[in-house]
Amino acid sequence: MANRIVVDPITRIEGHLRIEAEIKDGVIVDAFSSSTMVRGIESIVKGRDPRDVWAFVQRTCGVCTTVHALTSVRAVEDALGIAVPPNAEMVRNIMEGALYMHDHTVHFYHLHALDWVDIVNALKADPKKTSEIAQSISNWPKSSPGYFSDVQNRVQKFVESGQLGIFANGYWGHPQMKLPAEVNLLAVAHYLEALEWQKEIVKVHTIFGGKNPHPNYLVGGMACAINSDGAGGLNAERLAYVGKLLKDGKDFIDQVYIPDLLAIASFYKDWGAIGKGFGNYMSYGDFPTNGYADMSGFKFPSGIILNGDLSKVLDVDHRNSEEIEEFVNNSWYDDYAEGKDKGRHPWEGETNIKYSGPKPPYDFLNVEEKYSFIKTPRWKGLPMEVGPLARLLVGYGRGNKEIQDAVNGALAHLNVPVDALFSTLGRTAARGIETQLVANWTLEFYDTLMNNIKNGDERMANMDSWEPSSWPAEAKGVGFMEAPRGALAHWITIKDQKTENYQLVVPSTWNASPRDPKGQRSAYEAALIGTPVANPELPLEIIRTIHSFDPCLACAVH
Amino acid sequence: MPTEIEKRDTYYESIIKQGYSRRDFLKFSTYMAAFMGLESTMVGQIAESLEKTPRIPIIWEHYQECTCCSESFIRSNHPIVADIILDKISLDYTLTLMAASGHQAEAAKKAVMDKYKGEYILCVEGSIPLGDDGNYCCIAGKSAKETFLEAAAGAKAIIAWGSCASNGCVQAAKPNPTGATPIHKIVKNKPIIRVPGCPPIGEVMAGVIMHVVAFGRLPQLDRLGRPKAFYGKRVHDTCYRRPYYDAGLFAETFDDQNSKNGYCLYKVGCKGPMTYNSCGTIKWNNGVSYPIQSGHGCIGCSEENFWDNGPFYERTTKIPGFAVESNADTVGKVAAGVIVGGIALHAVGATISKRKELSDNIKRAKSNEKNIDL
Amino acid sequence: METRNFKRVFVWELPVRIFHWVNVLCVIVLSLSGFLIANPPALISSAEATNLHSFGIVRFIHFAAAYIFFFNMILRVYWSFVGNKFASWRAFWPFSKKTWSNFKHVLKIDVLLFNEKVHDEKNISIGHNSVAILSYLLLFIVALVSVFTGFALYADTANWWLPKLFAWVTPLFGGDFMVRSIHHIAMWVFILFTLVHVYLVFYHDWLEGRGEVSSMFGGYKFVQEDRLRKAAKAEEAEEKSNKYK
Ligand code: HEM
Ligand code: HEM
Ligand code: NFV
Ligand code: SF4
Ligand code: SF4
Ligand code: F3S
Ligand SMILES: [Mg+2]
Repeated sequence: MANRIVVDPITRIEGHLRIEAEIKDGVIVDAFSSSTMVRGIESIVKGRDPRDVWAFVQRTCGVCTTVHALTSVRAVEDALGIAVPPNAEMVRNIMEGALYMHDHTVHFYHLHALDWVDIVNALKADPKKTSEIAQSISNWPKSSPGYFSDVQNRVQKFVESGQLGIFANGYWGHPQMKLPAEVNLLAVAHYLEALEWQKEIVKVHTIFGGKNPHPNYLVGGMACAINSDGAGGLNAERLAYVGKLLKDGKDFIDQVYIPDLLAIASFYKDWGAIGKGFGNYMSYGDFPTNGYADMSGFKFPSGIILNGDLSKVLDVDHRNSEEIEEFVNNSWYDDYAEGKDKGRHPWEGETNIKYSGPKPPYDFLNVEEKYSFIKTPRWKGLPMEVGPLARLLVGYGRGNKEIQDAVNGALAHLNVPVDALFSTLGRTAARGIETQLVANWTLEFYDTLMNNIKNGDERMANMDSWEPSSWPAEAKGVGFMEAPRGALAHWITIKDQKTENYQLVVPSTWNASPRDPKGQRSAYEAALIGTPVANPELPLEIIRTIHSFDPCLACAVH
Repeated sequence: MPTEIEKRDTYYESIIKQGYSRRDFLKFSTYMAAFMGLESTMVGQIAESLEKTPRIPIIWEHYQECTCCSESFIRSNHPIVADIILDKISLDYTLTLMAASGHQAEAAKKAVMDKYKGEYILCVEGSIPLGDDGNYCCIAGKSAKETFLEAAAGAKAIIAWGSCASNGCVQAAKPNPTGATPIHKIVKNKPIIRVPGCPPIGEVMAGVIMHVVAFGRLPQLDRLGRPKAFYGKRVHDTCYRRPYYDAGLFAETFDDQNSKNGYCLYKVGCKGPMTYNSCGTIKWNNGVSYPIQSGHGCIGCSEENFWDNGPFYERTTKIPGFAVESNADTVGKVAAGVIVGGIALHAVGATISKRKELSDNIKRAKSNEKNIDL
Repeated sequence: METRNFKRVFVWELPVRIFHWVNVLCVIVLSLSGFLIANPPALISSAEATNLHSFGIVRFIHFAAAYIFFFNMILRVYWSFVGNKFASWRAFWPFSKKTWSNFKHVLKIDVLLFNEKVHDEKNISIGHNSVAILSYLLLFIVALVSVFTGFALYADTANWWLPKLFAWVTPLFGGDFMVRSIHHIAMWVFILFTLVHVYLVFYHDWLEGRGEVSSMFGGYKFVQEDRLRKAAKAEEAEEKSNKYK
């Protein structure tokens, strides 16, 4: 008999995720992913000024802060036919790049690492040996034996205090923890360093957007005017600050994140065969270099891969009502008028919350009926996995040289076949690989911005269509991007200068949703199948695979 | 379902199996004891170390939120957050950072609530939905309201992080589909420090905690329950663009010459004049900038109902209780028009209806005029 | 033909008139400067902020006018205890039978424009009529709202204790947003009142010919002689009856 276990709350993610898994003979045979919190942001923005909506939907998530703001202004600009000035495009790219650097690094160290790193075991490490390992994999200057023994002493003191804080009840000593003590110590040291580092890279957002989390955006461009010869806007000092932050950010990624990732991954190669899922991948593409309208200039190409077949990449069209649809057959919303099993294109989407699950407190969800606040998006009726892995695979399949080289390099380093990418380990590795790519690109965007200013272009916003009186009576648009967790798009319809309908279909919506009317599982549920679980009371393996997606449930439900 | 006891056994067994020494085990037990309530049975001999003055235990709950408050907290520069959580406080429960998930996470919280009853600080990030019996936010199968009341009962004080917990924030904006409610409306018998902002500035969050840790008491609060040290002044009253405001020099739209000159953003909707926050003084992310310095008006993110107080890019006054789009001047102008029209009608009506009275008066006046003897 | 004999009657004492016109001036200045504060026009100036203080001046004028407005109001309240019967607070008391019947009369004759069958001069008010009373009371409340919200907005930047006395108003409304909105709306009530008020003053002057408009300048209105005579007789009778009691 299969045994149903519940992991709720899943921690070290954003939001409220509950996994119910059926385990048989130490292996997961079925799984249900549910989010148990809803806010109704799509209903809240109805009737609002479309120029204000970015601020509302940005509050969908403070972890991937900025992505919903950017997607929203893109949607409104698409509806109103606004092209933003090249400087604004670059500033947006730089901010997005900085977000990738921040979000992925924080995910690796603070959200994911404790699945693989045994903090308590680090107390047994020899700091000298740790130093040798550190120096053998990286030039990072903080690598002396003294440094590591300081860190060790600090952890020791902390543990002896008897108050373990966030490390209490962790999975220390679990049989699945495989790192040598020295690598554990290295990772603990970098956990702390990354915690300090992450507050630096976000200053890029602060300079352009005034604050982080939740920097400011603007329909038509950005609000941070350039004034190279004045004190009132972006000038040489402000821009030099950005340049330094990006450079320092890249150094940490190249010299700490990536070496750590490869070092840790080399002890967990078995996870290259766990957590594959169904093998469909989707990327919308992002990082325009020649305007958002010219998708051929995107750094991340768009496309779809089916069944892990990298030789064929299909196109995706956001406007086609046959392609992207959302279902609510298993979600706590009113069924659509046309029937429980019908989907809707987001332009026609609706959000009428209607909880029908068990009354809290409850032990189990009734998975025979609706069981989540997440809707279920499908592409031509198929489930899609989105995220860093999907982006790299689509780029790989599209023959993008830069992406292929980066992926092949990592595979060679770990000495694993390309198949190993379709896995828990693959997702985690892909995140690191793309962080390195994006960090490089962000410096390119920065150069483009500086050159543009040097050549006399100081425009930052196109205000031609700012006044609602200049808008058509009705308009609709779609904004899309590649958020750190994957393909993100917002659909807006505008009527009489007001937001008539607004729908978000978010990366974690694709990955974390409940199953569709055909019973097809979405990515989390599918990836969990076949995952071994050594001790059902300590669901370490479950959270490893789930964390490999970097869940964001506030995003998923909104 | 196995019981708590069985769970523990499995847990310890697995540690020993992993080849930890007895010494490691004892060390390990010390903190395990604290979190699983085992000191009497298994680790009495190391109770001493537990007698040490503990770091203030903190339970940090997450309800209807976007986690930007946690994100902002970890951006703090002074002190940096690693120092706070390793040396100043014991952050014993937070979904965002804690190692344990599921039962292990909930057990850690329970242990702190039992052991430090009346001593721990409860931090709340996010609002609590009261709509539909609280079904809109559940954690570990319990409603947010229930877990909040449980955790609040034994708390020494409560900190409401961000606009969500303090004011309801975006999910409480009209039409508030889930009945999102700020926490001071749910628990009234505990001191609550409201730290609004979407999110609050990281250093402000750290500052509130450091106040409690360093001075051993809660910060002084203003009439809205906000720490005076951080919410005593309007953004406008500390804004470096204030001289332009006083001069009457305003950006007329974005990216015009005036905005490039750094003129005041009042006319493009800046809500700094109505917003109490430290953005003009402490600024963001270690003083790098703040919204206005980066060219965008303040949207009033630390004020109650800022989402419904009129559009972000206009200097308008919203009429309380009216539909989103109506502003006071429009209604005022319409009302004035109606009244002027009414007056005109009345004047015409009066001329007609009072014509007899008037003509009598005039007749009388004329005859009086005749009778005037010069 | 009947002629009516009007007598000059002193109605508005000098302090009332001064109050009235100071008040009018303040409201105009406050509204104009208030509009500017709410929605400043674009300045055509290349001066640096250091050499320009135009918006500060507008706000200064607003605050100065606000103080005058406030103290003027207090003086008027004081006068309602020491002034003549037309200025007295009793003249604003809305809950008497007499006020009520006058109210119905004004509503019928002046607002709904019916004509009287029998002309009774008693129905013509000498001081305020009852509808006017209500409008002044309403205005008094709105003035209080302006003062409370205005000083509440001012409190956090003021050094003086007086504005600070109003600091408690802000939390009542959850923050400055609502306070400022209410303050702004109150201005519109002033404007709407003025439109109606000025019209009605002229209307009465035109219809009754008793010097309504000029009364707020010179203080005098005109009352029919026989009404004065009747009033004098009644007074005498009352005095007598008091004597024999
Ligand atoms: C004691 C009386 C009053 C005081 C203390 C006062 C004070 C203030 C203050 C402090 C402000 C905000 C200015 C700023 O933030 O820079 C203001 C704005 C304003 N005041 Fe007054 N005021 C008073 C009376 C009035 C009256 C009687 C009116 C109108 C008849 C008026 C109309 C306005 C308007 C329209 C605004 C602009 C509000 C907005 O931003 O929409 N005020 N006043
Ligand atoms: C901002 C504009 C005005 C305001 C706020 C205002 C307010 C008032 C108030 C409060 C009173 C009651 C006086 C008292 O008993 O103390 C009053 C009476 C009066 N006002 Fe005005 N007034 C305004 C403009 C005017 C103008 C422009 C005129 C004439 C041209 C005028 C003529 C009068 C007269 C004749 C009375 C006595 C009315 C009566 O017998 O009931 N007012 N006004
Ligand atoms: N899923 C998701 Fe997000 C991201 N990345 C957004 O679109 O995390 Ni909050
Ligand atoms: S206050 Fe704002 S930033 Fe903080 S959790 Fe709420 S929505 Fe997010
Ligand atoms: S920019 Fe905003 S806060 Fe600053 S002076 Fe102008 S109105 Fe005030
Ligand atoms: S929008 Fe918020 S961040 Fe500060 S400047 Fe305004 S309070
Ligand atoms: Mg949606």
